[in-house]
Amino acid sequence: MAAFTSDERQLLHESLVEYFKANYPFERFRELTDRQHPDGSSREAWAEYASLGWLGVALPENAGGSAGGMTELAIVMSAAGGALALEPFLPTLVLGAGAIELAGTAAQQEILGEVNAGERLLAFCHTEPDAGFARGYVKAVATPSGGGYTLTGEKSFALHAHAADTLVVSARLNDDKGPIALFLVPRTAAGIELTPAPTLDERRGAAVRLTEVAVEASACLGESDTDRSGIINEVLDRAALAVCAEAAGAMATAMEQTVEYTKTREQFGQPLSKFQVLQHRMVDMSVAAEGARAATHGALRAYDEGSPGAQRLIWRAKVETARAARFVGGQGIQLHGGMGMTDDLAIGHYYKRLTLCETLYGDADWYLGQLAQSGAA
Amino acid sequence: MFIRNDEPDPTLQDFRTEVRQFLTEQLPSETQRRQELGQTIGREEYGEWLKRLGSKGWLTGKWPVEHGGLGWSPDQFAVFSEELGRASAPPIQGFGPTMVGPVIYTFGTEKQKAEHLPAIVQHERFWCQGYSEPGAGSDLASLKTRAVREGDHYVVNGQKIWTSYAHWADWCFCLVRTDPDVKKQEGISFLLIDMKTPGITVRPIIGITKSHHLNEVFFEDVRVPAENLIGEENKGWTYAKFLLGNERVGTAETGKFERYLGHLRHLLSETKEDGRPLIEKPEYQRKVAELEVTLDTVKALAADQLAAAREDGSPTLMGAAALKLRSTTFQQEALQTILDVCARHTLLFETDALHPGWNGNTVGPDEMAGLLYEHLYRRAATIYGGSSEVQKNIIAKGALGL
Repeated sequence: MAAFTSDERQLLHESLVEYFKANYPFERFRELTDRQHPDGSSREAWAEYASLGWLGVALPENAGGSAGGMTELAIVMSAAGGALALEPFLPTLVLGAGAIELAGTAAQQEILGEVNAGERLLAFCHTEPDAGFARGYVKAVATPSGGGYTLTGEKSFALHAHAADTLVVSARLNDDKGPIALFLVPRTAAGIELTPAPTLDERRGAAVRLTEVAVEASACLGESDTDRSGIINEVLDRAALAVCAEAAGAMATAMEQTVEYTKTREQFGQPLSKFQVLQHRMVDMSVAAEGARAATHGALRAYDEGSPGAQRLIWRAKVETARAARFVGGQGIQLHGGMGMTDDLAIGHYYKRLTLCETLYGDADWYLGQLAQSGAA
Repeated sequence: MFIRNDEPDPTLQDFRTEVRQFLTEQLPSETQRRQELGQTIGREEYGEWLKRLGSKGWLTGKWPVEHGGLGWSPDQFAVFSEELGRASAPPIQGFGPTMVGPVIYTFGTEKQKAEHLPAIVQHERFWCQGYSEPGAGSDLASLKTRAVREGDHYVVNGQKIWTSYAHWADWCFCLVRTDPDVKKQEGISFLLIDMKTPGITVRPIIGITKSHHLNEVFFEDVRVPAENLIGEENKGWTYAKFLLGNERVGTAETGKFERYLGHLRHLLSETKEDGRPLIEKPEYQRKVAELEVTLDTVKALAADQLAAAREDGSPTLMGAAALKLRSTTFQQEALQTILDVCARHTLLFETDALHPGWNGNTVGPDEMAGLLYEHLYRRAATIYGGSSEVQKNIIAKGALGL
């Protein structure tokens, strides 16, 4: 995998931050999250990301991408998190594209060209209602039928499933003990019932019920009966890592806003920033955010280098990030006082985004359990 | 240490039974169900419920008999509050019964008592509290809303913020500045203002909960009869402090949070991971045990304050502050654990489900929207009623002498 040079990464980061600063202010977030807005995110922005090459930072060159790795994706995610961008980076670029890249046939991988061009949105429908954070719990079944398959099952809420062009759906082949396969299913296929819902941080998606949804053989990723649990685990680890990067960006902005607020807000005759208790609080927040960012960076390097210890580093980075996100988000509101509790100020929305970052694809407790079980020895 | 000997009041158990009986008979099951789901209640429905309590004198049970109360002991009031919380009854707004009512019967004129007290006892009016301002939050004494005496009236100009339910209120009890030239605490007056007076504008504030109960209230040349002044001009801060003590002890809400622990246990048995209920995981069993430890401590601290109220007439300075600190962090921890469980359902926050009459499809547990609402709302628990930082200052200065 061709890695970006440090300079290229710097340029990527700067152009992202500049773009979001100029084009994605908090007011835009408010417009897009209005319940009346049909999508809950911006198709125009997505088209711009495409034209700027950002959708393809980690896509293969033959898809028109830059063949970068998770680190380049993380640079995009951290800028998006810093701006509270609502577009479907995680489901499309990390989960959906990741699954297609790892499991897809050459023909199926042509979809990645459409993803790169901003013409195909993906959602990843794997988790089921009784799975919790567990990754191997799949009851949905793909029954062979007339050369293709029919899919039946219940999937929990998946980000962007309400609007994605294609759902990447996991299901067991033949019966509920069969190998887990991944299928490319048009969102509008007959037999698909979507229940849209908003998340706490006002992103959108849907729960998906599949009732005998008919798909061709070519819809099965890899067109074989290989169990894809390994790939599912891999893309979920990538998603956890991407979310760590998003959180790092969101925490950085939340910190900036909090420090700025305490410098301007006066009570008892002086700015809040002069009270040592609050200074130390902000230091604690800053140290926590830095630790999370550093752990995430270490995990990114290890992953992109193909290091065998990378998975554990990702899991640890998610634990560290989850803890930092909870603290920084919560104290961000606390230090804004009553203002922090209003819908009109950004800090409450950073709190909500950080709360999702903390828990998406597994919370700290869950990853600690995984680390413990996988043998600390 | 350990000296206090709480003689159990033999009538308390009968009283508890009486309250439960009343709730069973008088709390409409629809209202209860909607409270369980965290749905918002409308002004009419809420007013109806308060009137039912009022008809038994139970809104103001703690008041002295001579002012229309039932002379309840602090223990009776605690039992009453606890049972209401446990039964998912709509919580009683304290503005009339716990805040301005006692100020009026302690410091008010006979005319003011006659005008306002019976109306509070029976719930004929909604009240709101005009305290905080954009520039006066933790530093409440620096408030600037100005009241200038002109003949028989005060002319009020200024702005209040975080005014809960100002959009429902018939009356407002307001701290105003009547003397800008003295030490800030010594230039404040306590004024009762009819919300129908010309010049008052109420503007909604939407919270991070996506709901509306807070407001900004603007006063533009509002003419308030001078007879609406409580007590003496420029002595308002004293009356306000009298009221703050009552407000702080009220925030423990142990009955309600027992119910939330019940929600947590229910969620843990209904929410699965890898097909098994979360309650089977040792880490969640321990977490529930930890929360129960803290809840017991909060109840014990609240009991101490009850004893102080019984013996000395009011909670102790250190006690009220410590109780507020511990109870509010406990509330946040309990709701955080609930959120952690809901994270298995991706923290879906269907705010439409919080409106009565919702009959759409909710993804995930029915109670999730209401529980996430409460989690968001309680991020303010360490901010309202005197922030945790302020409570620590109170303990440092007032109790530890630092």
